[in-house]
Amino acid sequence: MITVSGLTKRYGDRTVVGDVSFAVEPGTVTGFLGPNGAGKTTTMRMITGLVTQSAGTATVDGRPYAALPNPAAVLGCLLDAGAVHPGRTGRTHLRILAATVGVPAARVDEVLDMVGLGPAGRRRIRGYSLGMRQRLGIAGALLADPPVLMFDEPANGLDPEGIRWMRGLLRGHAARGGTVLLSSHLLAEVEHTVDRLVVIGGGRVVADGPIGTLLAGDGVRVRALDPAGLADALTAAGFPVTADGPVLSVAGATAEQVGTVAARGGHVLTDLRPADRGLEDLFFQLTA
Amino acid sequence: MTTVLDPTPTRAPAARRAPLGRLTTLEVRKSLSTRSGVALTAVASVLPAGMTALTLALDDPPPNAPVLLALLGTLVGMLLLAVGILSTAGEWTHGTVQTTFLTEPRRGRVLLAKYAGAALLGAAIAVVVVATTLAVATVGTGPDFSWAGTGVAVAATVLGGAALTVVGAGIGAAVANSPAALTGTYITLLVGMTVLNGLKPVWGRRVDPLTALYDLIDGTAAGRPVAVLAGWLLVTTVAGALVTSRRQLT
Repeated sequence: MITVSGLTKRYGDRTVVGDVSFAVEPGTVTGFLGPNGAGKTTTMRMITGLVTQSAGTATVDGRPYAALPNPAAVLGCLLDAGAVHPGRTGRTHLRILAATVGVPAARVDEVLDMVGLGPAGRRRIRGYSLGMRQRLGIAGALLADPPVLMFDEPANGLDPEGIRWMRGLLRGHAARGGTVLLSSHLLAEVEHTVDRLVVIGGGRVVADGPIGTLLAGDGVRVRALDPAGLADALTAAGFPVTADGPVLSVAGATAEQVGTVAARGGHVLTDLRPADRGLEDLFFQLTA
Repeated sequence: MTTVLDPTPTRAPAARRAPLGRLTTLEVRKSLSTRSGVALTAVASVLPAGMTALTLALDDPPPNAPVLLALLGTLVGMLLLAVGILSTAGEWTHGTVQTTFLTEPRRGRVLLAKYAGAALLGAAIAVVVVATTLAVATVGTGPDFSWAGTGVAVAATVLGGAALTVVGAGIGAAVANSPAALTGTYITLLVGMTVLNGLKPVWGRRVDPLTALYDLIDGTAAGRPVAVLAGWLLVTTVAGALVTSRRQLT
């Protein structure tokens, strides 16, 4: 698992990450969201020791990344798909990585096939598209089959099929008991992939919890054949009602309470559901 | 695309860090895994054969093997500096240093492996240079050509070549940018040292690493050239270590 506690990064007087704490548990995919410049990448780089923190700690499997005997065998990272030598072939790049980590060279061809780069592995990387470089980066992260994966914007450059494939990869890894931390600006993709969310804004954590809890709204939404009549009945019963066209939002009420008021007044309901928020609404609400 | 995911973790990579010997071998492999690295190594290895033949065809050819080796060793020494520079600065220029530090976050070990790899590669190229130079000289010289002091000259060429490659690696690590490191190094050596040797030859002999290498190989001096090369080794490798240990990969 990944544990971040009080992580802070300052450049002079400017604090880019301030007192960030969260934990990424095994068996889950955790989304790490935030607008550009919020501190996501800096946080991930502090976790791996690429950037030195000003304060706080970050551990992977209970130890700082640099203290792990063979860190790439514990945490597979994709932080920058461009961090490859364009003059090497994808296969050579991975073979060097495999030799460093202590993985048999045969594994290289396995992961190349796994990410869909089998034939392209013998070509020089300068001819790869962004999506192919992302796949190569993912292949590198998977080389040692590490229990923890940390991907920064892995969907960049991937086509819809690639995004679906990646979702399956990450969900499958978590289903096997693995730990996944995923940063992405594709909110719909995150919503369909993650179990938990850590939202960062202005360098600070502004939300941390299960995605179901964070997206759960306050109250219910209801549709009726006579929305105006139902609105009057609900208001008379003491519930605050706001109308958005034919849809009534009733803050602080349960579906049972709204259903009871409607039944008493003889109102016909056509829809009644919890007022869940979309991830986009939550994101802008938290990071505005 | 069809993807088959392993149902369970199947591999158990080494639970301990990669030994320094393996890291060193990998650094040599990295240098030879790109076209530019292979081309530079090939030129540094093959060029001396032609240059030796050319030198021996001059009206006033070198009178003995140490002087011949000094000429060729110094010429190749300039290329070895570039080999060393690219081995370290190239990682920063292409961003691959990030991948390197993710697999081995102890930067001191990485740099030690790079310096050792540079020394090995430089020595290996110097051995090829010595072998081809002496082979051509065997065929292309007459009875007046002296072979006295060849053993010492060979050792000086190999060790000096290794040293200059490590100096290049130190410069590359300190500057962390290939074009800047190459440009700065060659301006310093080809312009700065030439001016210094012209104005103050005594000072030039105290700081010019190529002059030191020449003097070491041809046997003009031993103590001073060794001190000059050791100074360059110390300053550049320490500067490289300081920058590498502190630089943030933002």
